[in-house]
Amino acid sequence: MRAWMGLFIGFVAIGGISAWRGLEEPLPTGPYPLAYPAAFGGRFTIPADNPTTQEGVYLGRLLFYERRLSANQAIACASCHQQARAFTDGQRLSRGVSGKPTRRNAMSLTNLLWVRRLFWDGRSNSLEAQALVPLYHADEMGLRPGQGAEALQQVAPYPTLFKQVFGSDTITDARIGQAIAQFERTLISADSPYDRYLAGQYQLTASEARGLQLFSRAPSRDGIVRGGNCAHCHGGPKLYQELFHNNGLDQQAGDGGRQQVTGQALDAGRFRVPTLRNIALTAPYMHDGRLATLTDVLDHYSDHVQASPTLASELVSAQAGGLRLTSSEKKDLLAFLHLLTDTSFVRNPRFADPHNQLRPHLK
Amino acid sequence: MAHRSYLNGAYRSQPSSRISRTLLRGLSGWAFLLLTLSGQAQTLTISGEVAKPLTLQAADLKAMTHSTLTARDRDGKDHQYTGVPLVDLLKQAGVTLGGELRGENLTKYVLVKAADGYEVLFALPEIDPEFATRTIILADAVDGAPLPQGVGPYRLVVPGEKKPARWIREIKSIEVRFAR
Repeated sequence: MRAWMGLFIGFVAIGGISAWRGLEEPLPTGPYPLAYPAAFGGRFTIPADNPTTQEGVYLGRLLFYERRLSANQAIACASCHQQARAFTDGQRLSRGVSGKPTRRNAMSLTNLLWVRRLFWDGRSNSLEAQALVPLYHADEMGLRPGQGAEALQQVAPYPTLFKQVFGSDTITDARIGQAIAQFERTLISADSPYDRYLAGQYQLTASEARGLQLFSRAPSRDGIVRGGNCAHCHGGPKLYQELFHNNGLDQQAGDGGRQQVTGQALDAGRFRVPTLRNIALTAPYMHDGRLATLTDVLDHYSDHVQASPTLASELVSAQAGGLRLTSSEKKDLLAFLHLLTDTSFVRNPRFADPHNQLRPHLK
Repeated sequence: MAHRSYLNGAYRSQPSSRISRTLLRGLSGWAFLLLTLSGQAQTLTISGEVAKPLTLQAADLKAMTHSTLTARDRDGKDHQYTGVPLVDLLKQAGVTLGGELRGENLTKYVLVKAADGYEVLFALPEIDPEFATRTIILADAVDGAPLPQGVGPYRLVVPGEKKPARWIREIKSIEVRFAR
């Protein structure tokens, strides 16, 4: 872990300086090393036709911050996925080119390398395909298919860069999606105080330690052992399990969530279990952003879980009055949740808007 | 319909009895009611390294020979689970079991997937009775009733394991793969 951290920080430092300082320096090319702690595991697939390269990631990053990829030239991916907020936008629902609110809350873009089914309802199986969905959505970026590619074909340095990345200067929507996917794969967050605690490099305060215990432990049936059992779904080093659950927001879900993808009644009101990484930065919460603060979220799981036929079995006892966290327990859990904030991730210059620091020879 | 019984994971053969047949007929009635209520039938697919990929409807599974075993769930209590031995399902799909489970076929594994995204894995010898001393079943009933919503229509019951973490619920697919 220590060695890995060193490699990661060193990489960021060298990459950051050489990429943006050297005026005559060429764009770095070649494979982009994806560094992550061993505990994150290698269960991910990068499409054989879209390997992660330095030039591809750079192009994807330009596109991620590119406002020309919207009908009114005002909205980029980064409008609703802002780095300082761990790539969310602070809104209950987002507003794109139409000004109409979107259906669901903008998701944090973190550790997507490992995510197998994207969106709140898991309807997309690849970052390449996912990236194009907001581009075409009338209430997000509002482009017609091909419109974005056509616009960028006229703008330097895009044709040059596409040639470098894909071997052809013809810009297509599919290549736009591929480049953005490459950039998204690099958005790895693994340097929160909690990560450092796991690596034996951070000492928990008494409150944080109590919070971790409540987070990790299931309550006993008799109520003597206290616990929130949060880790059952939000556990592991990546702080999520790839599951779709109904977490008891409503007795009758207005938004079917996963059911709209599978058509199965047992999926009614199920949504993906989001990562808790950087959770203190990603308010408001839930698929529709209905809960404004983390305190509201803890109150929900403690006191307001609604019964329904598809309520997650782990929450049935909470709904029946089993959890009922005390105010000091909630305080401890909050203290723990704040340990999950990775400030080096939200300040990483390699993830920032590159358009203000365009390499001169590409301008 | 032949009916077999397993007690605490130990297998003992039992002739087909009228009682069990009546019981199973009763269960299928319940299963039908449940499917009607939920509006759609949940199918089970078996795919991957198989001679014959299968998409099984509720009626297909209902028609297969069922076994009953007693095993302890997370609630700490013993329950009677009824279902189709997993090995029978895999044999129907033409998976390399029995005499064929040797050589490179020993590097095959079975990935069982649930509707909510949960997944668990078994090596083929854990399922093959020529290797394993216990029988894993794809249960569709517990204590004489269909599995409740959130558990059913199908759940694996793995007798003899200290944690029921591989008793995966809401099973929708079984994939057989080669380790690479």
